[in-house]
Amino acid sequence: MKADIIMLLELKNIYKWVQQGGRRVFLLKDLSLQVEEGEFISVMGPSGSGKSTLLNVIGMLDGFQEGEYHFMDQSVHNIKEKQRSNLYTQYIGFVFQAYHLIDELTVYENIETPLLYKKIKSSERKALVSDMLDRFNIVGKKDLFPSQLSGGQQQLVGVARALVAKPKLILADEPTGNLNSKQSEEIMELFKELNSSGVTIIQATHSEKNASYGSRIINLLDGMEQG
Amino acid sequence: MIVNYIKIAWRNLKRNKLFSLIHIISLSIGLSAAFVIGMMVYYDFTFDTFHKDGDRIYRIVSHIANSQEVYKNRGVTALLRDAAPEISGIEQTSYFHNWGVATAEAEGHNDIKRNPEGVIYTDSKYFEMFNYEWAVGHSSNILDAPNEVVLSRKRAKEYFPGLKITEIIGKHIVYNDSVTMTVRGIVENLKERTDFIFDEFVSLETARNTDSKNQVFPKDWGNTNSSSQLFIKLNENTPIKTIETQLADLAEKHTAIYFEKFGVKRSFILQPLADLHFNTDYGIFNNSGSEANKDVLLGLSFVALFLLLLGCINFVNLNTAQATSRAKEIGVRKTLGSSRKQLISQFLGETIVLTVMAAVISVILSIWLLGVFADFIPEGLTAGLWLQPQVLLFTVILVLLVAVFSGIYPSLVLSHFKPREVLSKATQLPGGNAGVRKFLTVFQFTIAQVFIIATILVGRQIYFMINKDLGFEAETTAYVVTPWNDAGYSQKEVLFNRINTIPELSLISQGGKPPASLSRSSSLVFVTRGTSEDKLDLEILNSDTSYFDTYGLQLIAGRKPLNDTIREYVINETTIEKFGYKTAENALGKELKMTDGTFPIVGVMKDFNQRSLKTGINPLAITGDIGRGEYTQFRNVHFRLPIEKENLKTAIDKIEKAFNETYPNDHFEIIFNDELVANFYRTEQRISTLLNWATGLSILISCLGLIGLVIHTTERRTKEIGIRKVLGASLTQVNILLCKEFLILVIIAFVIAAPLAYLGFSDWLQGYTYRKKISWWIFAASGIAMALIAAFVMSLRTVSTAMKNPVKSLRTE
Repeated sequence: MKADIIMLLELKNIYKWVQQGGRRVFLLKDLSLQVEEGEFISVMGPSGSGKSTLLNVIGMLDGFQEGEYHFMDQSVHNIKEKQRSNLYTQYIGFVFQAYHLIDELTVYENIETPLLYKKIKSSERKALVSDMLDRFNIVGKKDLFPSQLSGGQQQLVGVARALVAKPKLILADEPTGNLNSKQSEEIMELFKELNSSGVTIIQATHSEKNASYGSRIINLLDGMEQG
Repeated sequence: MIVNYIKIAWRNLKRNKLFSLIHIISLSIGLSAAFVIGMMVYYDFTFDTFHKDGDRIYRIVSHIANSQEVYKNRGVTALLRDAAPEISGIEQTSYFHNWGVATAEAEGHNDIKRNPEGVIYTDSKYFEMFNYEWAVGHSSNILDAPNEVVLSRKRAKEYFPGLKITEIIGKHIVYNDSVTMTVRGIVENLKERTDFIFDEFVSLETARNTDSKNQVFPKDWGNTNSSSQLFIKLNENTPIKTIETQLADLAEKHTAIYFEKFGVKRSFILQPLADLHFNTDYGIFNNSGSEANKDVLLGLSFVALFLLLLGCINFVNLNTAQATSRAKEIGVRKTLGSSRKQLISQFLGETIVLTVMAAVISVILSIWLLGVFADFIPEGLTAGLWLQPQVLLFTVILVLLVAVFSGIYPSLVLSHFKPREVLSKATQLPGGNAGVRKFLTVFQFTIAQVFIIATILVGRQIYFMINKDLGFEAETTAYVVTPWNDAGYSQKEVLFNRINTIPELSLISQGGKPPASLSRSSSLVFVTRGTSEDKLDLEILNSDTSYFDTYGLQLIAGRKPLNDTIREYVINETTIEKFGYKTAENALGKELKMTDGTFPIVGVMKDFNQRSLKTGINPLAITGDIGRGEYTQFRNVHFRLPIEKENLKTAIDKIEKAFNETYPNDHFEIIFNDELVANFYRTEQRISTLLNWATGLSILISCLGLIGLVIHTTERRTKEIGIRKVLGASLTQVNILLCKEFLILVIIAFVIAAPLAYLGFSDWLQGYTYRKKISWWIFAASGIAMALIAAFVMSLRTVSTAMKNPVKSLRTE
């Protein structure tokens, strides 16, 4: 390991299973993964292979039964809810397949929300949100509600919201799953650009094409990494 | 952050208009009830709280007990006034005596004030004990001499308009055309809420020359007068016990011959100042009966509490049921870094916004309600009470409490959602605990059901009491009251003769009270049974002989008295039984041994109810105007009214004319016996009105909640309904399926409510001698009514759901 490379997170021998009819069904099986800062990882595999589960585990949305997980030298396997929300505000941004914007908030307010939880001052908030609106070319849409936007536009807002708090890591679970190919391409280009500016990205995807934007590909099958 | 919360709260309100409306209506009903009732409680509990050392001030009242009952009298014998300063441990005493004045004529003013209220005999100590401020004059050396008067500023302005208050000093006022008083001082009216509503303070010594002489300066301790009020202020740290002992000694020492003779025992009781406004046993200082009833206030508070609870329950139920619609937002917020605490405060914030809106509406509503419930509400209570800091604070605290109470459970449920669960596509979302919702719904309907049953039962009891045959003619009879200050007989006879010529009236008679009234007078009768001699009460009605016909009283043995003034008695059947005469025939010819002689029983009449049906029938006798020489009992003229409306109107006009010709300066008053009887049940009728409202409102709130839940379930089950219809279910079957789960709750509520209502109502009925039987069908009917109402409300929604085209509902899934 080179000295200037900083480890962002590390999974060691993670097992995750559910009981089904008295049998253990493994979702993740002996999975180990090291992610360095600045990587762009694509997790691939067929439906049910554990892509989403892996992302959920990395995003601490889901737990696991065995193994160790360290995020920036903090052990996650026994983390408290409070610390977790702190990690979210500090380091992690999520992008979802179904965008998951808050329907009752405008574009502007959706982007602003993470900053509220990060307790950033009003003036600074304004500046940061405006930056994002500029950067994603959605200034004209800032007062619209999600339902007034197209899918591609919604996902742009979703990415903007994930980025506004300047996270170290973006977790994207099939970010283009609901988009057409042109919109997908835009989002992927955007990810690439972000990655080159230093943001670590982990995305789950079905598409070889999307995966090719990344710097590393992890193939999953039945919860295990394939060769 | 807070702005953000309020914004999202507001948008949520707008988006779910129907649900917001349900929340706001339910909460405003509860809150308005709480506001109005809270103000009533506050109002009544803040009477006379401002007196200095008020916790050490007591009123001395008298209990006079014979072997059967205890008569509670708010007054004492005036002689205790002179003995009280001897009692050790007392810092101050103050005595006053209500004086009923017929006329007051202020110097230099031609109009005479009739029956001025709030006139008392007292001395300067009164002003010291109750912290009066002097506008002119000083409490030393005042009201020592006879014929001195102190006025309140308000009364002084009325008597001497246009004069400066300093100019009023030294002016004269003539009371009852006979006593001339000099104004010696003017005090400010007490500014805070008080029952001491007096305006004219006449020196005690004056009483020696007026009709109150024997009450204010009685010759012996045998006299107890409810107008004679004695207040004492204890020394600091004096135990009440020591005062009570000394009072008991005093009572013992001055056991008057009278008391010994009639076998009664008098004791003096200390009543704390704070109890004054609430104790209906003693009342305040007059007979208007405006003292507050703690039981009523407690009952009202429960009604408010229940309505508030019902409103909160709607909020809890609908919010947890609707939780799924917020689930995504919660998941997203959590991934954006929101902590659980922040989410909880967000939802509580939303609840507060909603509750505040409801509160604003409730303030307006309760101003309106103060008008609707004017019957219940003391006159001095207005919406202006809100400006008092305590009331304002109470309002704010109540609103916050309600918000927290209704918001806390939903926000715990909502903030508990796991982002992974709510953000993934397929999983069935949790919606809080359906068991909790069911429990709360059952609770709501139990309350509504209890109210329904109680309303019907109380209504039936009132109807029964008002319409029961009382044993005399009440529907078509009425009487005219002669002025109370006319003590002689001659004018009354003139009035009787005038009314006697009115052709529309029949069966006119003279007499005292009507057969049934709230007042009672009785004589003591010595009844020998075996070896012992009992002293028994016999209620007395004084009347002429035609009174029997006027009221349709039936003689079952003997005859009426020979004339209108002879002292012969016609007793009722209860007397026969209670006095041990065995049969009516046996009673005839017996003599009643009274304190002033022995008098014959000449007749026996059938029993009739002489009071409200809460109580039974007491021994009663009718006799003539036996005291006419000194004081006539024939104060009223009784008659039968014509039945036809037109004749009735002419008859009453003619009666009024006759009255005005006889008593040109007095107020004409005619009392209809059916109204008088109905008035016995004023409390019950108020309860009934209140129950009607409580029932209506609790049904409304519960049904609003129900419809909210139904909307929620039908939405969740759209797909199921679609499938069932494709499989061939009929509209009715689908409807039944949808209503079933809620109807079961309503039925459970009924099962809980019925015994509760039964127990509560039987307890209430214990206060009534005459009871309408509780029949099972009332319970059945009210249960069915509740179920029908619930079914109707539900079908508003389920029918439209059931009618949905299954193709559509299945496609949308």
